[in-house]
Amino acid sequence: MNYRLTVNGRAAEVDVPGGTPLSDVLRDHLHLRGTKVSCGTGRCGSCTVRLGDRAVASCLLPVALAEAEPVTTVEGLSAPDGPLHPVQEAMVSCHGVQCGACTPGMVMTLSTFLDTTADPDAGQVREALTGNLCRCTGYHTIVDAALTAAAATRTPREDRP
Amino acid sequence: MTALSEPAARAVPATGAVGRSIPRPDAEAKVRGAAVYTVDLAEAGMLHAAVLRAELSAARITRLDTSAAAGLPGVHAVVTGADAPALSGMLVVKDQTVFAIDTVRYAGEPIAAVAAETPEQAAAALAAIELELEPLDPVVDLDAAVAPDARLIHPGWADYAAPVDGFRSGNIAWDARLEKGTDEEWSAAFAAAHRVVSDEFRVPRQHQTPLEPHACVARYTTGRYTVHTSTQFPHSVRSRTAELLGIRPSAVRVLVPTVGGGFGGKLDAMLEPMACLLARRSGRPVRLVNSRAEELATAGPRENAVLRLRTAVDAEGRILAQEADVLTDNGANSSGETVICAGLPALALGSTYRIPLARYRTRVVYTNTAPTAAFRGVGGPYVVFAQESHLDHVARALGVDRRELRLRNVLRPGEAMVNGQALDDPILIEALESVERRAPWDRERPATPGKLRGKAVVPLTWLTNPGPGEASVSLSDDGTVLVTTAATEIGTGAIQTGVRQIVAERLGVHVDDVLVSTPDTDAAGFDNGAQGSRTTYGAGNAAGEAAGELREQILRTAADMLEAAETDLEIAGDVVQVAGSPGASVTLAAVSAAAMWSSGPLSATGRFVAQPPEFDAGCVIGGLFSTINATSSHAHAAEVEVDPDTGEVTVLTYVVAQDVGRAINPAMIVGQVNGAVAQGVGYALYEDLRIGPDGRVLDRNLETYRIPTALDVPPIDLEILENPLPTGPYGAKGVAEPPIVPVAAVLACAVSDAIGVTVTDLPLSPFAVLAALRANRR
Repeated sequence: MNYRLTVNGRAAEVDVPGGTPLSDVLRDHLHLRGTKVSCGTGRCGSCTVRLGDRAVASCLLPVALAEAEPVTTVEGLSAPDGPLHPVQEAMVSCHGVQCGACTPGMVMTLSTFLDTTADPDAGQVREALTGNLCRCTGYHTIVDAALTAAAATRTPREDRP
Repeated sequence: MTALSEPAARAVPATGAVGRSIPRPDAEAKVRGAAVYTVDLAEAGMLHAAVLRAELSAARITRLDTSAAAGLPGVHAVVTGADAPALSGMLVVKDQTVFAIDTVRYAGEPIAAVAAETPEQAAAALAAIELELEPLDPVVDLDAAVAPDARLIHPGWADYAAPVDGFRSGNIAWDARLEKGTDEEWSAAFAAAHRVVSDEFRVPRQHQTPLEPHACVARYTTGRYTVHTSTQFPHSVRSRTAELLGIRPSAVRVLVPTVGGGFGGKLDAMLEPMACLLARRSGRPVRLVNSRAEELATAGPRENAVLRLRTAVDAEGRILAQEADVLTDNGANSSGETVICAGLPALALGSTYRIPLARYRTRVVYTNTAPTAAFRGVGGPYVVFAQESHLDHVARALGVDRRELRLRNVLRPGEAMVNGQALDDPILIEALESVERRAPWDRERPATPGKLRGKAVVPLTWLTNPGPGEASVSLSDDGTVLVTTAATEIGTGAIQTGVRQIVAERLGVHVDDVLVSTPDTDAAGFDNGAQGSRTTYGAGNAAGEAAGELREQILRTAADMLEAAETDLEIAGDVVQVAGSPGASVTLAAVSAAAMWSSGPLSATGRFVAQPPEFDAGCVIGGLFSTINATSSHAHAAEVEVDPDTGEVTVLTYVVAQDVGRAINPAMIVGQVNGAVAQGVGYALYEDLRIGPDGRVLDRNLETYRIPTALDVPPIDLEILENPLPTGPYGAKGVAEPPIVPVAAVLACAVSDAIGVTVTDLPLSPFAVLAALRANRR
């Protein structure tokens, strides 16, 4: 079957069975390997991408259900040679990254979360992160990054110190 | 000893790079999704491999026919035990083959592997392999395995090669003892004891669960294998793959892309030998990646163990003599580090407290279960859990305050640990005082209505892996510096920040101008791997020595160019200048160019291995290591609440004092402590890689194997203590392992305090806590 997707603003067409997980399509067909697959059962969140305005586990999403809305992966969050998204920037500056295998999923979950929750507290961030496992950091610096990114997003770039 | 916030006495004066919390330079690629991990690699013509694994944990192979599978569309190679008969093992007992040959010893053991054009074709080929197994009774329980009538898992055990003999027999893969004191002293101590307390503790397996599973891509060309793999220890993969394939190590080249976590689970060859065999047979590059189910069921976890402690104490709770009988599970073969670590429980029992007399025995036991392996802190977390829970039991039995009991027994400067080894400048008292300042022991805070509140404090001595390593440093044409090493960045920042900061500091250049090569065993000499907190310490020492020599070469060249004395020169950023006269300078790029056609390119190699400390050699029997290196002092304290209706444990406060020697990058240290405490919380409260009575791993996904989430990790109040180690780079000691070691102990002791009874099993699941509460009421 042919499926027409919009991924990171580009039209893409793939010929795969409709039940193929979106994560496999992204990684193996569209060569977007920033999206990681760590458990394949929707528990770890490494494969999180944005579908429309929602964060979804792309390892559980059949490609046939991904046609209606645009898909954004970590590669589409900021231009490859452009400035980082505030969440990406804060993950670097707050030391929210260690091995990095969870990082793309964390970035996608947090950037989607902050779109609807501009001024969260730490508890809300932790709730939002329960679907994303990290084995390295103990999460504290990732929570710091989310709060830092939220503050930066509320402050226009030119007004930042 | 100084707290980090105060001016510190430096082992070596620092001028710039060391001590700064620089962000890691690999973070940007990781947040963009641009970092390339082994699971992301693809090569032209690459085949996809899959492994047929045994469904039973003990069986005889009565039929194995791969001919139908080999003929299926897209299938390029099928390999079995007939293709790889050689024996190997992690450093000690050589009892492992790549595939099961004639006998299956654990569920999940590889039987055959296939390589095909697509993953679907590989799966179809597995299904077409004809395998018949005749079941045997699995040996699973540790006590049953060492019973005289137990079925031998390796009937030919005596024929396996081992470095020394006399310390193994039958199902006992290794038997290590530490004995201190004569029989007369021992009898006298127990006769004089005010009290003798006994306990038995049981701990489950804990899985490392790196988010990137084991993965590799192998190629074969004219007699040599090239393997890209996700490993902590490329030279181990090289030598073990070679031994398993029966070839010389230099025939295997190992390269390491970005590594998505290790935690001890990626120190050994695992998938690489199978991928190599398939690559050779097919003539194509072959990719092999563990599914999460394979990862949990077959990639060696921290071993389960049974610990029996008996301690004689005086009326004040001073330890007079202590006996320990420890059984640790090797699993079906010695492919992990469990045997080499057989001596560790004795050292962990006797490195924090004064143990005048000891009878410690550790037996590493074969069972029909997946082999076990290293996990951060190796045996430390369960040995310290048992020792601390046992000491709390002693304190309760005597009516002695639990913190006071520790102060009476803890080792002071000048005292020796149980093996007779003098500790490196212990500051256990200062560490206890540090947590006391922030979490006063006598502070009584009321429990939430309906909840039970408990607290605990635990001091700890821990180690740094002493292993060898070399690193080369060269000055590039643009004045930057390249470090070439097989030491591997696994996410800790030890290479990306620690080694770079040490080299920058030694040379006087900007950290940004120090680049580090990716590990390639054809390009860099031996390095002992990212284990035992050794990378900043060991690889840092080697790279620092090389940088010191390169500095001399640079100054010699610049002295000719500037017509100045070498002793008047300094490197400042990207120039060499006459000290105090910045106008007289040459750029490092110019130095590089000038050297090129006079002395030749500027480069140097450094090396390091820790020298073993003195100890009482008479007390250690069969230990494969007898001392611990570059020790550091720590204390953890916690307060918990237990819900007596549900058994749920909530960690309210968690306070850490950690002696790091010297903080090369404080932010990275905070990251290691946060991550290690989180893994310790998982070990204490949630993680239990269950083995069924048939020897099969029951938890094969991250739904039932539950690691901590963002909601489970308590706030961590850390004070970094700087107590420089003279032999560490700028005084640094190992940082990454120690903070996991006391976590289960302090949480179990706090829960025991809350419910009034010693907890003897991990994890402290709601069911376990409710069971302990019920037992106490009876």
